[in-house]
Amino acid sequence: MARARGRRAESESESEDTMSKLGQVVEAVEKHGRFVVDQVKRARSDEKFGRELAERWNKIKAETPITRAPTGLPLPRLALPEIDEPGEIARYLFGDGLPGEFPFLNGAYREMYLEPLQNIDQGSHGNKRSTSTNGAKLQKNGARPQEEPTRLFSGLMLAEDTNRRFHFLSAHQRSKRLSTAFDGLTLYGIDSDAEGVFGKIGEGGVAVDTVEDMVRLYDGFDLGSPEFSASMTISGPAPIIMAMYIAAAKRRFGSGIVPKLRGTIQSDIFKEVQAQNETIFPIEASLRFLCDMIEWTAANMPRWYPVSISGYHIGEAGSTPVQQAAYTLSNGFAYVELLAARGIPVDQFGPRLSFFLDCGLDVEYIALARVSRKIWAIGMRDVFSAGPRAQMFKLHTQTSGRSLIAAEFKNNLTRTAAELMLAYMNGTNSCHSNSADEPFTTPSEEWIRLAAHGQAILLEESGIFKHTMNMLSGSPGMKAVERAVEKAILDEFREIESLGGVLAAVENRYQRSQIQSAAHRYEEQIYDGTRPIVGLTRYRNGSDEMPEIELARTPRSKQRLQIERLTKFKKKNADKANRALDNLAQVVDRGENSFPALLEAVEVCSLGQITGRLQEVVGRFRPMV
Amino acid sequence: MASPIRILTAVPICDGHDSAINTINLEFIRHGIEVVYLGFHRYAGDIVRAAIQEDVAAIGISSYNGGHVEFFAEVVRQLKRRGASDIAVFGGGGGTITHDDASLMKGKGVDEIFFAGTSLTDMVDYVKKHYGKRRKSRAKLKPDLLLARKLTQLEDAAGKRSPRAKHQTSSIKHRTSKVIGITGPGGAGKTTLIDELVLRFLTQDRHSRIGILSHDPSVIGEGALLGDRATMINSQDDRVFMRSMATRGQAGGLSPATESCLNLLAHSGFDYVIIETVGTGQEALPFRRQLVDQTILVMNPDYGARLQLQKIVMLDVADIVVVNKTDLERAKAALLEIEQRLTQNKRKQQIVATVAKRHRDAGVDELYDLITQDGAGARPPRRERK
Ligand code: B12
Repeated sequence: MARARGRRAESESESEDTMSKLGQVVEAVEKHGRFVVDQVKRARSDEKFGRELAERWNKIKAETPITRAPTGLPLPRLALPEIDEPGEIARYLFGDGLPGEFPFLNGAYREMYLEPLQNIDQGSHGNKRSTSTNGAKLQKNGARPQEEPTRLFSGLMLAEDTNRRFHFLSAHQRSKRLSTAFDGLTLYGIDSDAEGVFGKIGEGGVAVDTVEDMVRLYDGFDLGSPEFSASMTISGPAPIIMAMYIAAAKRRFGSGIVPKLRGTIQSDIFKEVQAQNETIFPIEASLRFLCDMIEWTAANMPRWYPVSISGYHIGEAGSTPVQQAAYTLSNGFAYVELLAARGIPVDQFGPRLSFFLDCGLDVEYIALARVSRKIWAIGMRDVFSAGPRAQMFKLHTQTSGRSLIAAEFKNNLTRTAAELMLAYMNGTNSCHSNSADEPFTTPSEEWIRLAAHGQAILLEESGIFKHTMNMLSGSPGMKAVERAVEKAILDEFREIESLGGVLAAVENRYQRSQIQSAAHRYEEQIYDGTRPIVGLTRYRNGSDEMPEIELARTPRSKQRLQIERLTKFKKKNADKANRALDNLAQVVDRGENSFPALLEAVEVCSLGQITGRLQEVVGRFRPMV
Repeated sequence: MASPIRILTAVPICDGHDSAINTINLEFIRHGIEVVYLGFHRYAGDIVRAAIQEDVAAIGISSYNGGHVEFFAEVVRQLKRRGASDIAVFGGGGGTITHDDASLMKGKGVDEIFFAGTSLTDMVDYVKKHYGKRRKSRAKLKPDLLLARKLTQLEDAAGKRSPRAKHQTSSIKHRTSKVIGITGPGGAGKTTLIDELVLRFLTQDRHSRIGILSHDPSVIGEGALLGDRATMINSQDDRVFMRSMATRGQAGGLSPATESCLNLLAHSGFDYVIIETVGTGQEALPFRRQLVDQTILVMNPDYGARLQLQKIVMLDVADIVVVNKTDLERAKAALLEIEQRLTQNKRKQQIVATVAKRHRDAGVDELYDLITQDGAGARPPRRERK
């Protein structure tokens, strides 16, 4: 297992031999800060340079198209600060960057949520939106594809029930962006027929045991379409589930489908050990299976994101926002180091890494994702020599589930709306908005519809985000938060570095214990008044009645049906399964890439059979508490 | 002084939502409660077995991933089946457990459900009020329960004795188990190593029974978080009896009741009894003479400078020195230094290099052989038991 020590010298940093990559990232970010200050000075002292900058600035402004709000109000499509002094122009261009430009503070892409260009001329007549529904085609000038960012996490009962939910949700969307929640058994790689788990089948997510469930799950969707993408929230058994997805796609569309598949699988082992607790193999083995999968998908599925480096679960487990960003970014850099150590070129896997952050009501969220984007870009460019596409921090955001509470739960609509504002102000690339019934149950159709509409109201109905990029970026307050957050994240990096790097810190429970004390402090603060909660500790109406909530509970008959299906599958494949498992075990023992053997195994084995056999070979995860 | 309240907490199978229970555990121990924490993703059977062996007053379950009505009921049912229905069951799960669910669950024998929005203080008060009273010891107890109850009595009695009271040594000679003492600094991986040994005990001899006495420090206000069980995946087995003890104010790595509890365990038909100290300092000599049959010191290669080695007194006494985590960079140097240090002693001491976190580690196999092939102690000869 590669420890976080810099052994391959590639940057000019003088201390590269003794310092871990994370230490080098700290240096690079600080160096970039100094670089910006130098450019500012130079712009002020070097007349020629200053003039060039001013000319460039004026050109950008002049070339920015003017758009019109439905009221007729003209606005630039890109808002920039009113500055004409070369030093300040330098500070903006080098320090923040235009949207879509290094260091990507203002956005990974140039246009984000803007209405498509062709609508502009008709803007003053209002509602001509329908002319622009031609989906995911790339816009002119390399702006990102036109997909709405809404991506709602869902999963309940059996595959066909979730499939129905997917169709219900995406019926309202131009592009089909599904996000899959699995039930607890699947998350832990356990079969539905295992002992002592009956009541858990299909609870909190969809039950998936076999490739046949996977076929049912996405039935009716064109998996190879450029307008379709599937996200799967699972990490411990992710390589097995990934293999099942591929196998299911092949069954439906033939093997030519593989390179066309678009989507994301979470697969983030570090954050599982730190916060979400769904690791099923020892850390080393888990990381190995993960890298096996990434190596395979990076080569064979150019449009797939095989890992979503996630802070959401860290945040929801109770960390502070700064801890969340710091652990997420450092985990990300640790993956880059692991993959680079396998000899995969950084520009091959780098663009296939994606990120997932929380967005709650704490003030840090005004700029948390912005700063994260910047640190990632600098680290990737300056420490890992990555090209522009691998510098981009592509972000999925989910509003905070933990901020939603049971008491007077309809207030959760307001909380989520505020969080959505923050998420878009931070330029998230896709977004899940929680339903108001979050504290109680997998959402009912009523509340999930409102959650989806919350996003549409902000992005499509309101003028806040659709006319002008940077509409709310760069206020003095936001800048103050950026500076404070950046400094605090770097301090956290230094702490992890001093513990021997990410893996060593993980093994010593560092991140876990930090998250746990933050979580305890958070709960204390609720009841000591430091964190007022409306409807609970403030303005309480006095009644503790439980609201009428429609609960998504899986009926016993469905749970039994799932077991019957699994039993049939196992019986049908009994002989083949043993051979496939033996082969898999041998491949793993020999240290070869395990993913091709998984692809074969999922055709005839259930999830639990595969995890069971793999655990015999590599052992089980020893929980950290 | 009254003994602290002991409870066990856990999160059900296929559920990793541990944030609430971690916070609650912290709050409980701050208020003097001893919490045996079994961790997340736990089967009902494992919870019940642990609760019985630890002889806790109550089990607190935190459940979020659904199926709570069945799961809580299953815990209550198994407690009853094993004759332990005086162990109470309570818990919470935020908004996922509705008021209707809670009534249903209470009907099935659950004491109390804490809904979303309950303050931490309310929970502490509840536990103190309801689980503080000592239960009557009942006449007909099943074996594990009987043993567990006796251990509790010994622990309670030790709390009442003055610290200077004489050790009970009388029965050390007649014990029926081989007693292995395992000590070493915190972070050396003692717990993991023990659990890996247990795996070998269980698989190599299909009849062996193992007793484990594990220690964790008590903190301010006398509470303690007893968390070793949570990481011991192989020791969740009916052939393993494990008891977690808090040091309850005693320095040196053991508890005031360790000796009496150990004596009882060593007479209770286990093949091996393993005793684990809390993480110890350099001067520590936790095991009195003859308390254990074989002493194992577990070390981390990162002990600092060579000079530190001279100060570690256990290096003179240990029968086996295990250098764990030998995947660390410093391991080679550490092994050499320790070996040199041991040759000064001119005793027959063994040194073993392990990476206990690794599945099927050859070093642990070697250690297992050293333990099982050593003649010391009272290990009963291999035999067929019913
Ligand atoms: C935090 C959280 C997470 C975090 C967990 C981090 C962690 N390590 O704990 C993350 C993001 C990882 C997560 C993941 C998932 N989650 Co979640 N999560 C939550 C969330 C937002 C808050 C729960 C929480 O910890 N609250 C803080 C605690 C302190 O407060 P509380 O819950 O109100 O509890 C109070 C009392 O009940 C009491 N209490 C609780 N337990 C106990 C125990 C005892 C002994 C006592 C005395 C008292 C007590 O103490 C608290 C203080 O008042 C809830 C929704 C919500 N808003 O409640 C969903 C929720 C529980 N999650 C849910 C689901 C489905 C999942 C996933 C399965 C999603 C998926 N398919 O991938 C995964 C599974 C994770 C896993 N490993 O099992 C569902 C469950 C749905 C259901 N049962 O029908 C919920 C309700 C969200 C939803 N509506 O979908 N989740």
